[in-house]
Amino acid sequence: MTVAFSALPCPDSLLRRLDPRWKLAGLLLLTVTTACLRRPNSAAIALAVALTLAALGRLPPRWFFARLGAAALFLSPFVISLPFLLHRPGTDVALGLGTVPYGLGVALLLAMKSLAVVVLMLVILATAPLDATLKAAHSLWIPGLLVHLGLLTYRYLFVLSSELRRLRVALRVRGYRHRASLHGYRTVGHVAGTLLVRGVERAERVSQAMRCRGFDGRFRSLTSFQTRVLDVAAFLVLAATAAGLLLWDNWKP
Amino acid sequence: MGQLEAVTADSAIRVRELSYAYTGGPRVLDGLTFDIAAGESVALVGPNAAGKTTLFLCLGGVLPTPPGSVTVAGLDPSDPVQRRSLPTRVGIVFQNSDDQIFNATVFDDVAFGPLNLGLPAKDVRLRVKEGLARVGLSGAEERVPFHLSGGEKRRVALAGVLAMGTDVLLLDEPSMHLDPRGRREFIQLINGFNVTRIIASHDLELVLRTCQRALVLDAGKLVADGPTRTLLSDRALMEEHGLEVPHSLTPHGEGHRHH
Repeated sequence: MTVAFSALPCPDSLLRRLDPRWKLAGLLLLTVTTACLRRPNSAAIALAVALTLAALGRLPPRWFFARLGAAALFLSPFVISLPFLLHRPGTDVALGLGTVPYGLGVALLLAMKSLAVVVLMLVILATAPLDATLKAAHSLWIPGLLVHLGLLTYRYLFVLSSELRRLRVALRVRGYRHRASLHGYRTVGHVAGTLLVRGVERAERVSQAMRCRGFDGRFRSLTSFQTRVLDVAAFLVLAATAAGLLLWDNWKP
Repeated sequence: MGQLEAVTADSAIRVRELSYAYTGGPRVLDGLTFDIAAGESVALVGPNAAGKTTLFLCLGGVLPTPPGSVTVAGLDPSDPVQRRSLPTRVGIVFQNSDDQIFNATVFDDVAFGPLNLGLPAKDVRLRVKEGLARVGLSGAEERVPFHLSGGEKRRVALAGVLAMGTDVLLLDEPSMHLDPRGRREFIQLINGFNVTRIIASHDLELVLRTCQRALVLDAGKLVADGPTRTLLSDRALMEEHGLEVPHSLTPHGEGHRHH
């Protein structure tokens, strides 16, 4: 659990120095475009672009690959099973260097698109402090309530993870070792239930504390952003890349 | 009752026949009546589930109260218009600071309340600076709240409340999760505030050192109201309501202190 909930890195880089609003707008545009791609070779280009951005953002390799690996692990059952489950004779997918069966083509498309989106999300998260990113999101007309939700989710992931850690210690000191048995699954269920109940109770107390400080659902911030030529140029490069990807994806020789 | 009426004129908190029950549950508060004068420091003691936190939530306008049963700083929490002004007059420091601190930086967290008041940026910055200075955390503006110690989190929560400019402070178990040094520093801190305050705590030594008057609550009823030292040294009263005479008020404790 420590991997998932460790604090976000924010190394100094070209991307880190950009105005978060322009950067977020450009990266979101690229993310949506990537999600819309339909051909494996354009998805491969999108993944290469995303990895280049991760390198430009100087994301710590260990932090970055741990998360990318987790995403790949999550995807693997789908990607591995698709070539065996999807058969369409005579509909081979062209990859530029040759053709592959339809199922394998779909699996490659799914894997590369998903990994590219994950990489872009990691770039968004790790190239500006989270509060700056959320404030930028609000200035891009994301509703204040959603921004608060993001902020609270981030904060309480840490609180819930430390509660989970305490529960695990409490289980261990009473001799519990997880095994694939009815008792093991029941215990995991009880722990999950306890966390959920505590989460609900905590949400109630947080809501009370917020109301005591005059919260009315609106997001307010003192952060001010400043647009420079470099920010606009970076946005235009990202937008042009997104447009290029879409054109390539729809181009039929 | 004569003494009670005498302090009503300049009461910061006025409670009359206040009862409260959560939906489908028994009464948590049962006919509470008391007054607290402006500038008074009052302890709220009692066993678990006595209704201390519920009383705070009623005073802070978080839980609904019948009209006329509660007046805090001249405002009636049952009136929606007056309730909106309540956060500028009453501040609650919750038992668990993790429930109260949720922003990504200490600055943002302390600024949360003043921003909700719609103050100009300059005033918000000033209030944050002053709030942090009052709790001894100047320079911690950019720190990340979940990297703070328990004592620091408690101070940030307090700074967030002070930044609202409140004149009534409700502290729920303020010494919980604090080490002896953090507790000692926190006592010095709250003794330095010139505001009306109620401190709900099981830490009776802290209560002795911070409050001149105590209210004993048990099963939602107010069972005693008087000088802290007198009430807390009443062994029969303490034991009847699940409490203990603080060590420093026992003959052994006194003797120990003199040595």
